[in-house]
Parts: sequence; C-alpha cells; structure tokens
Amino acid sequence: MLDTLFTVFATFALLFALGAVLSPNAINAALCFLLCLVSVAGIFVLLEAYLLAVLLVLVYAGAVVALFLFIIMLLDLKQVSAWKFRGISALAGVVGAGLLVAGVLAVATRGQLDSLPAAMIPALGADLKAYAHALFTTYLLPVQVMGFLLLAAMLGVIVLSKKFIAQGEAPAASPALDSQPATQAAQK
Amino acid sequence: MSFELLHAAADSNRWAAILPEVSLGCLALLLLVLEMVLPRAAHRAIPVVAIAGQTVLLALLLASFCCASGACGIGAYLGTETFNGLLLHTRDGQFMRVFFLLTSLLVSVLGVVSLGRRQLPRVEFFSIVLVIGGALMLLAQSNHFVMLFVALETVTVGFYILVSYFRTSALSLEAGLKYLITGALSSGLLLFGIVLLYGVSGNPLLIGSTDNGMHFGELRGFLAANPDNFLASLGIVLVLSGVCFKIGAFPFQIWVPDVYQGAPTPVTAYLAVGSKAAGFAILLILVHTAFAPYAGLVIPVLTVLAALTLVFGNLAALTQHNVKRLIGLSGVSHAGFLLLGVVASLHSTAAIGAVQFYLGGYLLASFAVFGVMTLLARADGADADAIQELDDYAGLAKTQPFLALVLVIGLGSLAGIPPLVGFMGKLFIFISAFQAELYGLLAVAVLGVVVSIYYYFGWVRAALFGEPDGASKTASADRAAAPVAAKAAALVAAEPASQPAPSWSIEFEEDTPLQNKGGSAAGVCVCTPVKWALGLLAAAVVFFGFYQGALGDWLLSR
Repeated sequence: MLDTLFTVFATFALLFALGAVLSPNAINAALCFLLCLVSVAGIFVLLEAYLLAVLLVLVYAGAVVALFLFIIMLLDLKQVSAWKFRGISALAGVVGAGLLVAGVLAVATRGQLDSLPAAMIPALGADLKAYAHALFTTYLLPVQVMGFLLLAAMLGVIVLSKKFIAQGEAPAASPALDSQPATQAAQK
Repeated sequence: MSFELLHAAADSNRWAAILPEVSLGCLALLLLVLEMVLPRAAHRAIPVVAIAGQTVLLALLLASFCCASGACGIGAYLGTETFNGLLLHTRDGQFMRVFFLLTSLLVSVLGVVSLGRRQLPRVEFFSIVLVIGGALMLLAQSNHFVMLFVALETVTVGFYILVSYFRTSALSLEAGLKYLITGALSSGLLLFGIVLLYGVSGNPLLIGSTDNGMHFGELRGFLAANPDNFLASLGIVLVLSGVCFKIGAFPFQIWVPDVYQGAPTPVTAYLAVGSKAAGFAILLILVHTAFAPYAGLVIPVLTVLAALTLVFGNLAALTQHNVKRLIGLSGVSHAGFLLLGVVASLHSTAAIGAVQFYLGGYLLASFAVFGVMTLLARADGADADAIQELDDYAGLAKTQPFLALVLVIGLGSLAGIPPLVGFMGKLFIFISAFQAELYGLLAVAVLGVVVSIYYYFGWVRAALFGEPDGASKTASADRAAAPVAAKAAALVAAEPASQPAPSWSIEFEEDTPLQNKGGSAAGVCVCTPVKWALGLLAAAVVFFGFYQGALGDWLLSR
C-alpha cells in the first residue's frame, strides 16, 4: 500500500516538475510547480514527517506560489517564446543529461542502502515540540543569524526597488537622468 | 520539557565567545537606527560611525589576542566548542576573524569613496557590509553544517544585493542576476552534499553511525569507520564543488569575470578577498576535520582542481583589457596557488600557516590595487564603474605619482616580485609544496607565476610609461574627451594644495558639471584619508615582505 502510494506521489512530482520547466505559459508553470510541491508533501506524509509536509504546503504552496501567481498576473505575461536548442547549447544539454543519468545510475547501483527494520527508524520530524525545542536551544545561534539574513534581504528589496529621489543632499536634477529607466520600470 | 534540560542546553550558548560578531551585528542595526533618528544633514556621519566602530572592534580584537594569549576575553574560549558544538574556536579561526574584520573595514572605506560620487542610498550599503562581515567571521569558526550553511547563505544573500547595488547600470544588474543564479546552483550542490553525508551517517545499519551527522567531529568519526562508502564520497565531492564555486576554482569560475566587472568596485574587492578567503577557510576546516579520513579522495580531486585553476586563470587573464575582468581572472589563478597550499597542508599541517600568510598578503595587496581603482573610477554615466580599461591608466605616473606608486606596489605584490609580501606568500606555499613532494603541481605553479608577471606588468607599463594623450583615442566612454586617469586625477586632486592640478581639472568641471556637484564635495573630505590608508596598505605590503616577525612565527609555527 505504502509503496503504491509512494510510486503515485513520486510520479506526480516528476511529471509536474517537468511541466513546470517545459510549460511555455508562466501561469501553467507556476501551477505545475504548486502541484509538484503538494506531491512532495505527500511523500513527506508517507515518511511520517507530518510537520515538514504541513510547512511545505503552508509556506511554499500557500505563500510562495501564490506570490508567484500574483506577480505573473501583475506583469501580464502570457506566452513566453519556447526555448530553442541549437548548436552548443543542445550539445551541453545532451552531455548534462548523460552525466545526470550516469550519476543516478551510479547512486542506484553502488550507493544502495538496505531498508531498515521498522523499529530502527528514528521518529524524527513528526513532533513540533521537538523542533521548537531544538530551535530555541541547540540551534539558537543559526536562528539569530537567519534574522540578520532576512534583514539583509529586506534592505536589498528597499535598495533595489525603491525610487531614490528624496536622498537628502542630492541635487534634485542629476539623479533623475540616470535613474529614470529603472524607476519607470518599477512604476509599471 | 523541564527547566533543567532547557537550562543545560542553553548553557553552552556562550555569547561572550562571539562578542565581535555580535557587536558587528549591533553596529549594523545601529546604522539603520541612526538613519531614522538623525536629521538629513547629519547622514554624512553614518559611514564614519561604521568605519570608526569597525576600527575600534579591530583594535579590541587584536588587544584581546595579544594580552597573555588566553586568560582574558575571547582567548579563554580557544580550543573549546560553544553553542552545542556549532562553533569551534581555534587559532585559525581567530586569524580569519581578524582577516574578515579588516576586510569589511577596508570595504567600508572604499564604499565611502565610491558611493560619495553617486546618487544612491548609502546607509544600507554599510549595514549589509557589516552583516556580511559578521557572517564571514562566524563561518570561519563553524564546526557544524547547519551553522556553516546559514552563515554562508547570509554572506551570499548579502552579496546578491551588493553586486547589483549600482542598479542604474545594466552591467551591475546583469552581474547581480548571474551571481544569483550561479550562487543558487552552488548552494544547491553544497546542500545536496550535506544531505547525502547526513543521511548516510545516520543510517543505523552502518558502523559508527551517528544521529548528529552535521557535526564535523561526529562526521569524522563516522567517515573513519566507513573508509570506502560511495554515498559519503559523493557527498564529499558535492560539498567540495559547492565550496569551489565560492573560491572560483576552475570548472566553477564561470561567473567570475562578468560578476567582478559589473559589481561596484568596493564590492568586487569584497568578493575577491572576503568571499574567496571564506571559501578557503571552509575548505581548510573541512579537509582537516570532517573529511580527514577521506584524504585519499580529497587529495586527487583538489590536485586536479589546483592544476586546472592555475592554468586557466593565468591564460584567461592574458587577453583581458578591462582591469576588473583582469583582476577577477588573476584572482582565479591566486585561488590556484592557494589550492596548492591546501593540498600541501594535507601532507603536513604547517602549510595551513602558509595559506593564511598568502591570504593576508593577498588582502593587503588587493586592497591597495582596488583602492586605486576606486579612486580613479569615473562616475559620469551609469556603466562607468564597470568600464575601466587598461588604457585608462595611461600616464598615471605623471598625473598621480602617489597613486601610481601604490598601484605598482600592489600589482608587484600580486605578481610575486621579490621584496614584497606576495613573493613571501608564494615562497612559503612553494616551500611547503616542495616538502610535500608535489613536484608536478609546483612546476605548473611556477609557470603560472611567469605568465602572471606578464599581464600584471602590462598594467604597470600602462600606468608608468603610457602617454596620457594616447588613451583618449581608445577610451570607450561616451563623453570621455580626456583620458580618464587624468580626469579622475582632477577629481582626486580637487582638494586644495595637493598636486599642482593641471588644466585637466578645469576641463573636467566644464565637462561634467552635474557630477562635480555631488562628487567633489565628497571628494574633498574623503580622498586624503583614503590616500593615507592606501599608503599604509602599500607600506604594509613592503614591510611584511621584508620582515614577517612575530606574525610569521605565529602563523608558521605549528
């Protein structure tokens, strides 16, 4: 039963991932990405990592993909011209795909692990309390550093997207010349 | 969860051990608060606060270093793990801490010059530089993959922003996008490697399995017990690939020229010195702790990478005319020399000191060169910072003798000319490679030095012997009527009573009046101290070349 479910979820995840990459329509691609994430969440449920599954659906499917869709609709992207392979990029694609297949085969043959007896599987990732405890004790420092990461990212959004006209001592005329294309793009 | 358990787990969170990093973070926040609180007119003082704060921190860090080598302050934590094994405070970590603090300080100084000439938000730049600096310092002491990855991502996200900071320049935005994509790819490789290692070391069917496979010590124990595991080897190779993206080693150097060219010059300096040194700090930690049992795999991989990097970096730099691309690709060849040192250190650990000495020399010489580049970079046009050609330096010795001297000393040190620190760095690395019997790699490296002298001296020749007038024909800038070196000289010499400013300065003022309003006001107050700082750097390059003294002893004795 579990194996069948795993096959189903894994197949869906692969198919939708392919769809996300290959679809020429941006909205379809984003929706395929959403379904791919839901399938992966299903696999997490099969592994009894319920918390991860819930977080994946909440954070990615709920917030991130919704944001993608908003932006795509805001920009009104309808049809992206299909990517054409030619010359060197086709060759690179073939070589890359060959290497990928070789890598997967190598891992599947040489790196195979025996499946564990059920009793030995550690019950990680099921418990919100365990996560919270680890975050506030063992991993306190990375959590704090993460805060600074988000701060830097937020500053980046401000710096890269805000109109900089009211920059104090700036003479009003000169920045407008340089920054006009960027600000116009931002206004759109 | 009982109170005692919580207390025990929180007990090893010794914030005092990472006081410098915490202070840097607080300084970054303070800058943002100051921007909100202070009136507009006082905003000019904020970069000064950043620089002064970092200088004080650097002095305190060095003082806590020197005082009785232990007992007080940070020294008390040497050799211990804090934060539940996330951090391990070692001698190497202390060196890299000082290194990164000095790097972010110098980047801030260059940032004042570069941003002073443009209409861009300022405070955010310094804040991000400080956050990156703190994360780099944590990175150099990490002892756990979670800490390593989080610190590395903080650094990388900061760089995504800094690289595209001159957002009115298409080249800067292009560089930001390229860095974002390659950076995401490298993070992906690194993460995939970490996951494989964690997964395989947590498998209860294998000997020595551990449920804390992210911890370098535990991972080392597991790898020692399973010397020939395929999945573990795969994980190690993937982690090394991710790190090699950061240091720009050969197959992963693809992003270097474009990103170095498009990024603002101070950020290029940060990438060239800070990001590269971070890669080597991680590499040294990993190959000497976690991956030590797999030396049989790591040594051949790194040997091949070092040889390819040396050959590629030097050959690719030969054909460059843009100075930022040139210094980026020559930085690839420096990564090759450093990789040679890392390979040698796997045979005898004394070579770690040689690598660190080389990094220190590279820091001093690079910032001397980047400082001159920043001072001479034009600001008349969106892409001007990215288009700095070798021809622009023609006749620098006549218009700006002092800057030309600093440039020549910096380039000479990067090329490895005898009395300078770069030569001693290369010598130490070659000696340790010789002791490790890496004759093949050594031959490649010596050839690389010869080639590198050629392209560095092309630059030196342009600066010393080029004719200022000849350059204007080839200068690609849109409204460059006069050679840029002379123009920028006027910008630098805009302060009273420095050089007998030639007629260029008047022409310059007529040429770009807009720019001069914003530029010279900052130029007057900023250029003299920056020139002093550059002079100090050049003096340090010469000084450490002649005399390594206590620093050399400290680094090379182990």
